[in-house]
Amino acid sequence: QDRPVLRLSSVVSDTDIRATAFQEIADAVAEQIDLQVYNGATLVPQGSEITAIQRGNLEMGIVPPQDIANQIPEWSILTAAYVLQDVDHLKAVFDGDVGAQLNAMAEEIGLHIITPVYFGTRQVNLAPETEVMTPEDLSGVTLRMPGGDAWQFLGTAIGASPTPLAYSEVYTALQTGAIDGQDNPLPNDYNMKFYEVTSQIVLTGHLVGFDVLTIGSEVWNSMTPEQQELLQTASEEAIAKSTQAHLDREAELVQFFKDEGLKVYEPDREAFRTFAQAKYLESDFAASWPDGMLDAINALGTPSN
Amino acid sequence: MTWEFGLTISAIVLTALLGLPIGHAMIGASLFYLLLVGSDMGIAAEQILRGLYGSYVLLAIPLFIFAADLMNVGSLSDRLLDFCRALVGRFRGGLGHVNVVSSLIFSGMSGSAIADAVGMGRIIINLMTKDGKYPAAYAGAITAASAIIGPIIPPSIPMVLYALVSDTSIGFLFLGGVAPGLILGLLLMVMNAIQARRYGFPVEAPVPMRELPRVTLRAVPALLMPVILLVGIYGGITTPTEAAALAALYAFVVSTVFYRSVSLRLAYETVRQSARSTASVGILIAGALVFNYVVTIERVPNSIRTVMEGYDLGLYGFLLFVNVFLLLLGCLLEANAILLVIVPIFLPTAMALGVDPVHFGVIVVVNTMIGLATPPYGLLLFVVSGLTKSPIGQTVRHLMPFLGIMIVGLGIITFVPGIVLWLPRLYGYAN
Amino acid sequence: MQIMSHRLRRVARHAADAVPALLLTAMFLAFIVQVFMRYVLNQPVGWTVEICVMAWIWIILWGQSVSARETDEIRFDIVYAGVRLQTKRVFRILFSACLVAIYAIALPATWDYVSFMRIEKTSYLDIRYNWVFSIFVVFLIASILRYGWIFWTALRGIDTTEEVDPLAVSRKDFSE
Ligand code: NA
Ligand code: NA
Repeated sequence: QDRPVLRLSSVVSDTDIRATAFQEIADAVAEQIDLQVYNGATLVPQGSEITAIQRGNLEMGIVPPQDIANQIPEWSILTAAYVLQDVDHLKAVFDGDVGAQLNAMAEEIGLHIITPVYFGTRQVNLAPETEVMTPEDLSGVTLRMPGGDAWQFLGTAIGASPTPLAYSEVYTALQTGAIDGQDNPLPNDYNMKFYEVTSQIVLTGHLVGFDVLTIGSEVWNSMTPEQQELLQTASEEAIAKSTQAHLDREAELVQFFKDEGLKVYEPDREAFRTFAQAKYLESDFAASWPDGMLDAINALGTPSN
Repeated sequence: MTWEFGLTISAIVLTALLGLPIGHAMIGASLFYLLLVGSDMGIAAEQILRGLYGSYVLLAIPLFIFAADLMNVGSLSDRLLDFCRALVGRFRGGLGHVNVVSSLIFSGMSGSAIADAVGMGRIIINLMTKDGKYPAAYAGAITAASAIIGPIIPPSIPMVLYALVSDTSIGFLFLGGVAPGLILGLLLMVMNAIQARRYGFPVEAPVPMRELPRVTLRAVPALLMPVILLVGIYGGITTPTEAAALAALYAFVVSTVFYRSVSLRLAYETVRQSARSTASVGILIAGALVFNYVVTIERVPNSIRTVMEGYDLGLYGFLLFVNVFLLLLGCLLEANAILLVIVPIFLPTAMALGVDPVHFGVIVVVNTMIGLATPPYGLLLFVVSGLTKSPIGQTVRHLMPFLGIMIVGLGIITFVPGIVLWLPRLYGYAN
Repeated sequence: MQIMSHRLRRVARHAADAVPALLLTAMFLAFIVQVFMRYVLNQPVGWTVEICVMAWIWIILWGQSVSARETDEIRFDIVYAGVRLQTKRVFRILFSACLVAIYAIALPATWDYVSFMRIEKTSYLDIRYNWVFSIFVVFLIASILRYGWIFWTALRGIDTTEEVDPLAVSRKDFSE
């Protein structure tokens, strides 16, 4: 049996926890599959992983759900604020009927989803010291969000004034006051040293950050069942470890940021959740959500008080 | 390295030597590579289009070009020169000092060495060579040498390119260039003073002190430009990219409304010129984007890293090696190509050795800018020789001492990282 | 007749030049709007970025194909500039033949990619990417025509190399 070559493109740096996980997958499948990992978006420009897979120029990618939503608007339900509650909820959604439904849509455009890859929950990180308990407190706050209208709307949905800005310029912009804040998972705040130029982290937890480990459907179908099984198991194991590492890191960073003199606290999440879901439901985004899917997802989560 | 890659490299070198524009040579050869390895040739379009589409920071380039062009057609340059004459014209070799100081100020507005040489250079070369005060080749040489500083002091187009390939903050890179730029300027003035004594260059009649306020006042709009840029970027008003637009707006308002030296027709002409320059540098970026894909597929940076680690050069050995290598390459290659294609190959090794990315950026920018004036292939050489109408050989002879002292400066900047990093650190850079 | 065609060519040249000039103006204005909206009105907008990146791509690819002049192009002319006219003709025949051949071979695959990108739309303005990216096909075709022309004239022995004015040379690259 042939040992297929699978090229995996990711945007994370070589030193990222996830890069370790990808290497673990490659090592675990090495006997049957030649999995080559290209980190740092060196193989495929960021944002074009899906089309590269569809055109047969790439076998595997770490794909943001936002990018999938470009082609399958239904997927935008997973990119909306406060739909997913935490990692367990994310896992439950992908393991259940909703996941099956979403994965089937992905298969239709030639993508086979292997597993979601968690990388942290997005929290609001601000320079000004004013306390934020409700979305109203974020009114008029210039919040850097990634570019693109889905991301920008996420900022609007939590009450802020979103603005796009290159990631590498965020530190300086926070320091000079060009922006008031940014939103990212805690490990990113640490890696980019945002804590040096901000005064507080509001644990809004407005978005569970994840990508999906994706392989081209044709490539997947051309592999033997053993190879498929091997890749699936190796991926789930490595990603489960990486997920736990991220959770541990997030927990330990809360204390780190407090020691650095930042205020780290939880706002009235229920107020944020109500505000955000209302915003989404009256937007175009929700129009593309399949009937009943939001309820199905909510039913899988912890009942909200 | 595969034979396909070898053929691709040969194709670039060969067609470029035959005179095919470099951008086309890189795109064409990369397509050739895709054809050879049997890949989808549409990948070239994908790499170029998605690459250009995704690199927001590059948008500063056309705007910095536009701002510099507007300043060159307006009369800002003349006023600036009057001011510098009043300031440093009174010493021996005074116009040489004026040349350097005006470049330092002008570099605070323009991101490009060539723009500096053409804009300020034309006027000051006329001043210096009038009545045979300075040999034309000397005037050209010091113009070229001081123009090198242009992109080292912010704003800087080469630094934007480095930021692109290395994911470094433009804001900190810009700050990192300030002290090295000033030091290089000082070194040039020292060399000018030495040469002035040696050749007995004239002392200008000093501009009377009472003239100074008037001359300064006339130059204020020009002098304000760097201030506006700095306040824009570091005062929390704009990102570096947006600051470029603000600079262009300022130059436009000053030259049309304030100085009334630019008519609408001239303004259109300027936009047209800026767009042309933008396109000619953009095609190089496009070529580099697709060629870098080939380099990645071939895993060249990894191989280089392995080789370098094998030699165990250590941090300083590596920096020395990179500097010498790039200086030699600068004699033959065009600076953008070095920054976009060669520097990324060394970046993984530099990072693994713990070189600070801002420090490394300033080093390679200073290095490649010196390369603009090293023979046989140096755009600055061609430009100033065109301006002075003196043979390149003579310009090079007068340029040598200046290049020598700049390379000494490069050495200092390389081995004393503090010179580069103190200002970014003062501003919160924490590496 | 000759005058007419001359005039027509001038108009065409102006029109070709106007495209990148207008795009650069649009980019400039979009940035000003962006700063104004965020800093003055505190109502940041995102669509300006999209206009700018599209303009940027079009300026480059249009500017280096449809409205390109030979003197604008950055070449490594160490050898090229020094050789005799006859040799230069041979050089021109060789490099233009190479470029035309490879661009022509790449045309179908490029067309395929560009039309495939119909599948996605830009984020803010919802323009299908095949329209945004169509400029690359224009770039290839215009380059094939331009270099085909260079090939043809060099073969026939017609000198089309433009007069090189040192200032024009210096103008071609303000990026360094
Ligand atoms: Na500068
Ligand atoms: Na100068």
